[in-house]
Amino acid sequence: MMSAHDQNHQSNNANSDENTTHFGFQTVDKTEKESKVAGVFHSVAQQYDVMNDLMSFGIHRLWKRFTIDASGVRPGNKVLDLAGGTGDLTAKFSQLVGREGKVILADINSSMLNVGRDKLRDRGLVQNIEYVQANAQYLPFEDNTFDIVTIAFGLRNVTDKDMALRSIFRVLKPGGRLLVLEFSKPEHELVNKAYDFYSFNILPKMGEFVAKDGDSYQYLAESIRMHPDQETLKSMMDNAGFEQTSYKNLTGGVVALHKGYKF
Amino acid sequence: MPSSISQQLMFAQALSAVIEKLFNQALIYNLHGTRALISLNEKSLTVKLAELGFPLNFFISAEKIHVSSSVNDSDCTLTSSIETLRTLKDQQNLTDLIKQDKLDIEGDIKIAQRFADIASTLDIDWRSELAKRIGDIPTYKIGQLGKSLAKKLSFARQQVQSDASEWLIHEKNIFVTESELTHYYQGVEQASSHVEQLSSRIEHLTKQHNKANSE
Repeated sequence: MMSAHDQNHQSNNANSDENTTHFGFQTVDKTEKESKVAGVFHSVAQQYDVMNDLMSFGIHRLWKRFTIDASGVRPGNKVLDLAGGTGDLTAKFSQLVGREGKVILADINSSMLNVGRDKLRDRGLVQNIEYVQANAQYLPFEDNTFDIVTIAFGLRNVTDKDMALRSIFRVLKPGGRLLVLEFSKPEHELVNKAYDFYSFNILPKMGEFVAKDGDSYQYLAESIRMHPDQETLKSMMDNAGFEQTSYKNLTGGVVALHKGYKF
Repeated sequence: MPSSISQQLMFAQALSAVIEKLFNQALIYNLHGTRALISLNEKSLTVKLAELGFPLNFFISAEKIHVSSSVNDSDCTLTSSIETLRTLKDQQNLTDLIKQDKLDIEGDIKIAQRFADIASTLDIDWRSELAKRIGDIPTYKIGQLGKSLAKKLSFARQQVQSDASEWLIHEKNIFVTESELTHYYQGVEQASSHVEQLSSRIEHLTKQHNKANSE
């Protein structure tokens, strides 16, 4: 069996072909990835929150809290929660921006958006939230609209990440900031090995048992390994025009929070 | 860009999440409800404690308290220690604590006082809340059990204290009693006074001797 890094290397070579991209460890046509990812998330939408808690042992709540703390959100801010899924960040942001502020929960996947909308409405969060089905590469908003854009565990599923970053840069106001919370590369080899074992042996079985969908969680593990590491993503943000870009490793680098400003 | 261990383990986020949960849960059970929060809507108080390496920001919105560990603009910032905050229950101490540099307040002090008022007016009928969940009789039984346990624990604590002091002072002679210590100090003082008297006497005799020699 090839290691995650070998496969990553092979895929990077494959990526030199402009018409292809990766879907987990598979190399697929760029036009194909969107529908394949959509299939995964239509399948897991209903069990998404339960699985997040199970897979991360609840730590995803702290990662998201860390992101909100780092966002510097204030009352009156306009926030775009991109690939917001079931609305964990939106729920908190909507309370922090107050009546004068606004939060847009955007996701390309209608099933995820529906689950998120139902969940937030059940919690009585309706006043300052809007829902938009949108592709991160082609954001349907005017230039200079948002104070904050967040994308949590979503960027790795985007077909053209550079294009998405440029699109986010466009809709941010000058002084606005982007926060990318995403799985990344663990800092220590031992953690990396344990994490590989957990991702490829336990995670798909957990997905099979709870969500009755082992394949989707196999994709999840593969897509994490194919995602750019901390420094590469930072460079991509720099190239998209972001300034003062930085990142913080969380839980030994299993997850990293990247932050960049538009000036 | 290395992150510290506490940052990687998100200790600040875990603590703020626990505090937020506890406060909001307490407000749900509060007999006066969450009305007191309305006047503080979209106001924030930052508390910087010497014992913590990060601030705690309390922000009120939608009749809830949101706790974060970020440093945002705050309506009032209070810099102090846990020990000092305990003495703040008596608001008359406020000026003294500021003069002694044990407490620093930046911003609108009324915000801090209103936050403190909310905490002091919390009125929770724990028995009634528990009875709603497990029934009246089990709640009564738990209450009785609690009282009896508290009594036994208090007795046991006194007993252990007395036995331990007996063993350490009288049996093992590791420590001394307060009266023994006072007696020792008195002895030291007496010896010191004698030494001083002798010293002045020697000085006096030396002077007399020198005077006699020079004549």
